[in-house]
Amino acid sequence: MLFVALKTFIRIETENPYYLVLLTGLFPWIWFQTSILLAAPSFAHNGALIKKIHFPRFVLPLSTVVNNGVHFILSLPILVLLILFSDSRPSVNWLLGIPVLTVVQLGMLMGVVLLVASLDVFFRDLEHLVEVFLSLWFYVTPIIYPLDLVPDKWQPFILINPLASLIEGWRSLFLENALPGLELWPALLFTVAALVVGGGVFRRLEGGFADAL
Amino acid sequence: MHCDEDAICLEAVSKRYLLSFHRPPQDIKTAILHLPSVLTHSRARWPFWALSDINLRVRKGESLGIIGPNGSGKSTMLRIIARITPPTTGKLAVQGRISAQLELGAGFHPQISGRDNAILNGVLLGLSLKEAREMIPGIIAFSELGDFIDQPMRTYSSGMYVRLGFAVAVHVRPEILLVDEVLAVGDAEFQDKCFAHIEKLRAQGVTIVLVSHDLPAVKRFSDRVILLEQGRITADDKPDVVLHEYVSRLSLLSRVMTQA
Repeated sequence: MLFVALKTFIRIETENPYYLVLLTGLFPWIWFQTSILLAAPSFAHNGALIKKIHFPRFVLPLSTVVNNGVHFILSLPILVLLILFSDSRPSVNWLLGIPVLTVVQLGMLMGVVLLVASLDVFFRDLEHLVEVFLSLWFYVTPIIYPLDLVPDKWQPFILINPLASLIEGWRSLFLENALPGLELWPALLFTVAALVVGGGVFRRLEGGFADAL
Repeated sequence: MHCDEDAICLEAVSKRYLLSFHRPPQDIKTAILHLPSVLTHSRARWPFWALSDINLRVRKGESLGIIGPNGSGKSTMLRIIARITPPTTGKLAVQGRISAQLELGAGFHPQISGRDNAILNGVLLGLSLKEAREMIPGIIAFSELGDFIDQPMRTYSSGMYVRLGFAVAVHVRPEILLVDEVLAVGDAEFQDKCFAHIEKLRAQGVTIVLVSHDLPAVKRFSDRVILLEQGRITADDKPDVVLHEYVSRLSLLSRVMTQA
């Protein structure tokens, strides 16, 4: 639906077929979005377990993130098939690029999700606010449009968004067989920051989970 | 103090809960809408010490009974030992795998089947998936749930809940078993079975902490009993001595009540 709307009505013109541009951005985004949405209440909704059993609490959000990561990996063959229909071909670069980008996205997700899920125990409406914030995030990230379509003077602003460089990383890996390089730095920086902040907040609040639920 | 050889060791452990007249906001929206009152009123809290200055050492293989009136801190103490909630101050050292039966129903998810819940519990307690699967036949036999094991837990009666909970707790091969007043829900036959099993675990050298108001049971299964009152240990001795102390206080209390 997004495809029809954007292709026929807005007439986005791209080097590669537009459906490939769209899907190479959309698949990683779906992993990102679904993980955050589903993992946000992972402590708050598992009070029964948290109040009765001692176990490393971070496995609750981790399982959601990894589960959705597996869905993402399983959706890659569809992408490969569509890419084979177009002119480009998968290359050996994928064997290195996919694990690297997967690890970066996994780390970024864990940082964000630990923060959101920990705070959600004490502020239950956070899980709904996150929903709103995610739909905003969707549009400021080059998912339904490629980065080169953005006017040059706006590009730096788009790239402040750490997710933009990650999504563009996935896209250039799939469409140009380009290995992720230095242009990934906003995503890397954000991942480290998210892990430090998310992990720190989680560690501070973890002890209070059982009493707050 | 050396805690190395003890299964459970609490040093000057206290647990404080903060109470407030005004319920602190549970979500961001309310917090923002009521910002002025949140900043003023919810600061007005007073502490409630559920446990204060508890020193307790339980040797490996020892059976400890905990008795005391409602609200004396028995359950809080078990929750701290089970590392569900951290103590506000003081130190806790525990050696060995803990399996806890805290209040009603272990950590069970109502939507998934009893079998899956049992496996999930085993894995969360540190077993491998294979070990968790292997303990299932024993759990089915012990809990006598039969085919109900594959039904979602929301369909279970409270008795079935307790049966499965206890069966899981004793089959994860615990080195320390915490039991909080759960056996009262099972029928007499199942209670006997549980007690027989506790006896067996005790003989195997499992450390057991039993919280109960069932004084004969406490007497039967404990090497040592502590009496908790208002968050403090007021007696710590052989079962006979502590039980006698507790009962005589109760009867004294009831005599005063009837006279008044």
